[in-house]
Parts: sequence; structure tokens; C-alpha cells
Amino acid sequence: MAAGLVVTSLVLSGAELPTLLGTHAVTLVVFLGSIVIGELVRLRMPSGRDTAPLASASALALAVVGPIQDQPVFQVGPGLVVLVVAMGLALAAGARRLRHLPVSVAPLAARLLGVALTASMVRQWSVAGWSLWEDQTRSDIPRGVVAVGMALAAAVGLVVELLLVATVRAERQRTPWTTATRDELGEAAPLTFAVAVTGPMVALMSPILGLLALPVALVPLVMAYSAVGQYARNRATNRQLIATLSRLTEEGGYTPSRHAERVSDLSVRVGRVLGLGERELRDIEYAALLHDLGQISLTDPIPDGATVLAAPSDQRDIAAEGARIIRRAESLDAVARYVELQTTPYRRVRELGEEVPMGSRIIKCTNAFDDLTGGSDEPAAVEAAIERIHLGLGYEYDPDVVDALTRVVEDATAGRVGERRLVSR
Amino acid sequence: MWLSIARFGLELSPDLAVLVVLALGVVVAGEAVVEGQVRLSLSSVLLLGGQALVGPSAAGMIGVLLGLLQVRGAPAHVRLFNAALGCSYATLGGLAFMAVGGDADLGLDRSVWSIVAHLALPILVADLVQLSVNLLLLAGVVRVTYGVPIRHQVGELLGSVGLTNAGYGVIAFLLVLLWVPAGMGAAAVLLVVAPLLVAQWAYRQHAEELRGQERALQVLVAAVEAKAPHLTGHSARVADLAAAMGEALGLRPHTVADVRMAGMLHDVGQTSLPTALVRSVASTSPAIDDYPRRSAGILGGLSFLDGALAPITDHRTALDRPDARAGLASRIVGLADEYDLLCEVGGPDGDVTARSDALEQLRARPGVDDALLRALLVALGRSSAAATR
Repeated sequence: MAAGLVVTSLVLSGAELPTLLGTHAVTLVVFLGSIVIGELVRLRMPSGRDTAPLASASALALAVVGPIQDQPVFQVGPGLVVLVVAMGLALAAGARRLRHLPVSVAPLAARLLGVALTASMVRQWSVAGWSLWEDQTRSDIPRGVVAVGMALAAAVGLVVELLLVATVRAERQRTPWTTATRDELGEAAPLTFAVAVTGPMVALMSPILGLLALPVALVPLVMAYSAVGQYARNRATNRQLIATLSRLTEEGGYTPSRHAERVSDLSVRVGRVLGLGERELRDIEYAALLHDLGQISLTDPIPDGATVLAAPSDQRDIAAEGARIIRRAESLDAVARYVELQTTPYRRVRELGEEVPMGSRIIKCTNAFDDLTGGSDEPAAVEAAIERIHLGLGYEYDPDVVDALTRVVEDATAGRVGERRLVSR
Repeated sequence: MWLSIARFGLELSPDLAVLVVLALGVVVAGEAVVEGQVRLSLSSVLLLGGQALVGPSAAGMIGVLLGLLQVRGAPAHVRLFNAALGCSYATLGGLAFMAVGGDADLGLDRSVWSIVAHLALPILVADLVQLSVNLLLLAGVVRVTYGVPIRHQVGELLGSVGLTNAGYGVIAFLLVLLWVPAGMGAAAVLLVVAPLLVAQWAYRQHAEELRGQERALQVLVAAVEAKAPHLTGHSARVADLAAAMGEALGLRPHTVADVRMAGMLHDVGQTSLPTALVRSVASTSPAIDDYPRRSAGILGGLSFLDGALAPITDHRTALDRPDARAGLASRIVGLADEYDLLCEVGGPDGDVTARSDALEQLRARPGVDDALLRALLVALGRSSAAATR
């Protein structure tokens, strides 16, 4: 679809290309450079997905900009805007490839479509005979109205981009569409807000400040970018710290190496397929990493640390001890509760109406799976483990969770986010 | 006096009304504070913009307003001081803006050069003046109250806020440029404030994450104490003692934080030893001498603990080597640990050593010199003072 858009733009505005390269050479270079740099300094959000706010903002600024001090008025059709942005994205993708960084086409295509939409809204759609782009040169329209109109057009483009990305993700990772959309919009909302206002800032300042308007208008966004970056890095550090806690039982020989990491990875993916929100997923991730912590004070280690094979009362004691340790920290209550109830069989939910949080049900199931396979992904071992779990369906394990687990182990992409997962160490 | 105020343009314009409403908004929203430091001061941006838009006396008035209301739950004299401080730096910043020829209304000369000369540079000057007045007055108060030399403080404060403050200048410039020359009027606020609110949101999340880190460390300590119940409270005491010793020895704040962290986590390796071994033997038994290395192994992947790893690895052997061999941080943690084991944790049957005996015993160790022992005494004095307070 995006490729079609680029071809259409080429055909429709091919005649304008020489003007672009000749008249607007300086403008072109400045915006192109800004898009490429913005693409290269991407931001990894806590969930693991990448965003490029500086590139998005530069592209949207190009979509709305008109008169520029010391430069010819940037009076071109939306097609040319799309071409320039496509060029910038392609150059950046090439540079990433050269540095052996992953490149995925779908988000870039979504970005291009979003920018195309904004550019046509601003440059072509006319209200009472005037387009928004033309309005910015008229003196009888308040600047505030123009600016708000432009910001809205940019926001529409950005939201369409996010919706497209969410759709692709829901398709690939078998996440329910509503969840994927909620996650995309939820995590990106604050930055989107900041990106959308950069375009009008550039458009209104460039008649006075010339092309300097672009870097100046990006300063507040850079501040927001750096704040979000610090926050995201800190999230990663915290996850590492919790992963360290999960290794305490491994170092002591209570649990097999990397068991907690695998259970946590599986649990998050299962949770995502089940449509849980990011906050809940994070608690599940932490609880899964810490689910065996209670073994730390056992006098005699359980053989191979496999709690699924231990007596139910021992399992409960271990879970309770783990929860007790976690409760020593304030406000990790949800995590402690997931750990505490991870041994409760599903039949108690069904028969006695007990409330067992989804996090605990997931960990019960994924923990059993990893204990039974011993971390192996041999088809025979996986099949035997799934078969054994199926024997406890509805009695030990929640059927919905078992369903999701089956999908996750069959399809390596199900429930994953981003091009690479954040791996600790 | 009224004449001079009128000359500097205190008039009740709609612009001023908008700025006052914004100031109240800043008061309600509050600043984003991470680790006790304001990361993005909306009020600085507001005052800088105000100096160019409504003149020095009106900016001073907004400064008074912010100073009076901003710190929640502060006693009256603190509010009064803040108001005076805010008024001084906002007014002086505004005067500096005018003095170097700043004028938000560019008239007909709209070249890039005139923007730089009449708006960008004057705002930068006002920014510098506002920052210096603020820092000097604050440092003066700290000098009077705590006796810390002004030069030290200003150097340290400048290092931590310098670049962000340049950022405030650029944002104020954006605000004024959109407001007057670009003809947006007060609607300019809508555009400029959005990214700042996002940054504020992110800093709040960041602060939340740092608290999360604190919590995870508490769990780590709780795991040690679940494994070795006789060590309950030991890690926290060693952390406090080691940090107080570091301060007494004049270590830099960063190193003190590392030493505190090392004190907190020095026993983590014990969790990987068999439970029976950890619980049955006296804490001085050679059978568990391996645990510091295990602690470092467990914590090795965490970048924020880099500075704490050496003292964690060496704390147990540091006191038995002649002074210069082991690092000062390792000896601090080692001494705090040994002292607490002797005087607070005690032997297998729970009998503790008296403080004077313990100090004598510890003085005999090759890694302990007079300076270190004095630091321990200062730290102990401080903690007992804190206990009786």
C-alpha cells in the first residue's frame, strides 16, 4: 500500500521534481537531514517498541510548512512531501542496515501513510475555498486557529499511523486488536501530543526565523525525548534488577539455570495473547521472575527445583514464603499476590468461586510447562508437556490460559513486541 | 517610585492575565522532582517569557506569586523568602533583558539578524542573570546557615543545572517569538506547553521507577534476611554506618552512595549458600568466606552497581591487609560490617561484644588506621544522636 503511495506520488508529482531539487534544494536538505538523524536516534519505549519522535515531527513539519524567510515559499503538492519523507526513511533504513540494526518495513510504511494523510489534509482539503496551507498566509485568519488546525491534522496522521501499526501487530502476534490498539495509543499518547505541535510551530516561525525554525522548534521535543529516554532506560535497569533476584535461587542450586527467565518470557507472551494491559503484564513479568524466590530459605533443595513435582503443601509453603519476602518492599503487593496464589488449582475458582488473579493462573501454567520440558524446545518434549498439562485442563489449569500457551509455543512470534526483546545481561 | 514602575511597563494587560493564570497552573501542577532535584522548571520558562512579554516589574510580580504558593505546606517564613527570591531574580532578569536592547515587538525589521539581536540574545542574557541571582542568593543562605563556602556550591549547582537552563532560554524564546512576532498571541502557550508537559510526565514516571528500584533492593535484602534470620536489620545498619563514615572522611556524594549500596548488599552472596550452613555456623566461620565473591557474581550485570562491586568483593578481607592495599571504600564497608557483627548481631548464642572491647579488637587489624577508626566513632556518635532525638 505504501509502495503504491510512493509510486502514485512519483507519477502525480513527477513534473514537480525538478522544481523540488532546484528551487527548494536548501529546504530539502535541512528537512531530509533532520528526518534521517531523527530516525537514527530512535527511542526504545519500555515495552520494547521503537519510536522516532524527532523524525516524525520533522516529517509533519514538512507537510505543513509554507513561507520560509530567505527561501522560496514551500508551495508543493502532498506527493512531493511524501517523496521527501520516503527518501529520508529509506536513507535512514539503509544506514541502519549498514550498522547491522534491524529494519522493519511495516512501521515505516505506516509512518509514510500518516504523513501523506496530514499533507493532503493541510495542502488540498479546502474549507470555504481555502486550504489550511493557504490560510497561513492570510492575515484575516487568527494565527491560533491556523496552528490548532495544523496540530489537529498532524494528530490525525499520527493516530492513523498508530492504528495501522496496531493492526499489523495484532495480526502478527495474534494479540486481540483492541488490546494492541490500546497499548499503542496508550504508550505513544504523550509523545504524540508533543510531536503534533512541532509542525505548526515550524510553520509559524519559519516566515521570521527561516530554516532555523526547525531546530529551534525541536528543542522542547528533544527535552521531552530525553526525559522519556531516561525513564525507559530506568525501566530496563529495574527489570535487570528483578532478573538478578530471580538468579538468587539459581546460584544456590535450587532452580535450574534460566528457568525464571523462560517462565517470565512465556508468561508475558501468554498474557499478551490473552489481551492483558501493559501494567498487568509488567506485574506478571516480575512475579514470574520471582515465583521461586520462596525456595531460598528451604533447608533441602527440591530435586531440579521443579515445583510442579513437589507435594502441594510444599508448593504452597514456597509460594507463601516468596510472597512474604516480596511484601517486605512497599507497593509490590500485586506481584506478591500473583506469587502467593500461583499454586491454587483452577478447580477452586470454578467450584468454590475463589478469586485467583489471571497472573497467578498464567504462572501456574507456564511454570509447569517449563518444569516439564526442562527448558528444552524439542518438539517431542514440548508435545509431552502440553499433553500432560491438557490432562489437568479445567482441574489444575485455566482452559483459556492453556489455549493461549498452546498458541504461544506453536508460534514463535505470538505475543512478542518489537524487533528484538529486551534481554537482561 | 510609581513613576519608575510605570516606566518599566506594569499595566494590567490581557497578556499579564494569561501569564498569571499560567503561573497558577504551574502551582497546581507542581514541578517534576527526581531525586530531590527539579528536572524541568516550568516556572523558570514562565518567568523568562514574562520578562520579555510584560516587562520586569510584572515578571517580578509573577515571581512573588510563584514563590508564595509553590512549595506546598511550607511555613510562612519560607514562603516569604521564596517570594523575595522569586521577585528579585525575575525583576533583575527582566531589567537585564531591557538593558541589552531586548524587545519582543520587532516592528518592521524582521530579518533573522534582528531576531537574534533583539530577542534571542537578550533572553539568553536574562536567563543567565536569573540563574546567577537565584544561585547566589540560595548559596548565600546556605553559607549563613550551614557554613558551606559559596564558591563550592555555585560550582556544583551550575554543573547540574547549566544545560537544562539553556534549554529554558530556548523555550522562552520560542514562546515569545510565537506570541508577538508570529502573531499568535496567548495561543502560543498551547503549542509550547505540550512538549513540556510530556517531559514532566516522563520525569514523574522516572521518579516512580527510581522508587521501584529502591523497592527491588528491599526485596534483595529481605531475601538475605529470609535466608539468615539472625542478620535481620544488619544490612540496613551497615549501609547507614558505612555511608556516615564515608561522609565523615569527606568522600564525594557519589562515592558515599556507592559505599551505602555496598553496605546494603554485601551479604547477598549468602543466599546462594546452603541454608543449613548459613544458619548453623557463627557468622565469622571460614566456611562461608566465599560469599563476597558470590555476591559480586550475582550483582555483576547491574550497571548502576559498578561502583559498589569492589567494596562488596573485598570487604571481608580488606581489614586484614596493610592499609594501602585495599581501597578505602572496601575498608569502610569491611569495618562497618565487622563492627555491626560484633556489637549488634553477636555470636552464635547471641552474645554481643561491648563497644569499647570491639573498638580495641578492630584497631588491632592491619587494615584499620586512626582516620578510619575516627570516622567510625563520628558515624556512631551521629547514629546514637539520631536515635535519641
